[in-house]
Amino acid sequence: MANMKRSLNRKPWRPQCRVGVAGLALACSVGLLPTVASAHDPVFGLGPHTLFKGGVEVHAGARREQDGTEAECEYALAVKYGITSDWTIGLEAPYLDLSADGGSSRAGRGDLSLSTKYRFWRNDRPGVQESVALMFATVLDSTAETGLGSGATDFIGGLSYGYEGRKWYRWAALRYRRNGTGDNGVDRGDKVLMDLVGGIRFKPTGYLEPDWVWMLELNGEYARRGNLNGMQLTDTGGSEWFVSPGLMWTLRNVAIKTGVQIPIVSDLNGNQDGSDYRATLEIEVHY
Amino acid sequence: MRRRLVVLFTALLVSVGAFAADTRYTMRVDGLACPYCAYGIEKKLKKIEGARDIVIDLNAGIVRVTVPEGTELTESLMKKLFNDAGFTYRSMQVKSL
Repeated sequence: MANMKRSLNRKPWRPQCRVGVAGLALACSVGLLPTVASAHDPVFGLGPHTLFKGGVEVHAGARREQDGTEAECEYALAVKYGITSDWTIGLEAPYLDLSADGGSSRAGRGDLSLSTKYRFWRNDRPGVQESVALMFATVLDSTAETGLGSGATDFIGGLSYGYEGRKWYRWAALRYRRNGTGDNGVDRGDKVLMDLVGGIRFKPTGYLEPDWVWMLELNGEYARRGNLNGMQLTDTGGSEWFVSPGLMWTLRNVAIKTGVQIPIVSDLNGNQDGSDYRATLEIEVHY
Repeated sequence: MRRRLVVLFTALLVSVGAFAADTRYTMRVDGLACPYCAYGIEKKLKKIEGARDIVIDLNAGIVRVTVPEGTELTESLMKKLFNDAGFTYRSMQVKSL
């Protein structure tokens, strides 16, 4: 939390700041996927939950990632709408704060993203809901003036399964991120993300009672090597695996989610700082 | 004076009779796993005019609602309502109050 506060207090970009083009672009690519998560979805992974028909979700989140001497904070506001109980659309507006070696930093609006999720299979039983959903999102090249975006339009597709019971939860998801090539010629390399998640509600609670669900996620990420104008960037790409304990607290139509990603395997190409940790805190309200 | 009391008592009985015309619906719903997700049910039921005493019992998989005289909750209406909320309606019991 102290780090987060320092980050919040960090001054905006200064002229002497020197964050390499490729480094910056790659930092953004690590990036924080659009928060298409909803309701009782995992904290970091993808879940199949959608909003009820006509429902509106307002979502505010903060994420911090520390990679060696580089840190990235993202604060995002998102709004989602339930077109039907199986189909949700959303818009997310992030604010980024990047810092690199020597205390230099840049902050400003990040790329807008649009997302949609369609739950095409649902099996309801007493006290249990199983479902499978497809999601699609695009991160728009919308921050050319701040230089904090990737400079390209990215596309993300994903498939997720979820089992939700009164006590136990489990999810599995697979996502593919197609990163576009920026105007500066940087191709950040596509990414594949995998999630396996278990959750437990130790004490089944009533509808109007505070509810706690504890989660443990295994998140895997594989990134292809990036390239600059067709030349491969040696210090890019690779794979990382994280164990991520998380918690979701809800009360009627309000939810707070938090968690931390701890790297357990880091097999990155060339000379790269692996992730030290990633932490997130999110609050969402349904109307 | 006695006559006035009789009239007052009769009026009271009539008004109690009016409340007694309310109907309580008890519905069995599948998929009720988390309280946060069930908020959509509350919101949709509240759109029914006069609906009150909404109870969502997650452990029993039961949703109860009381509606005033003249309001009828049909099977097809409930099937759609719960589907729009993201759950599966199974059956209902109706009781006049």
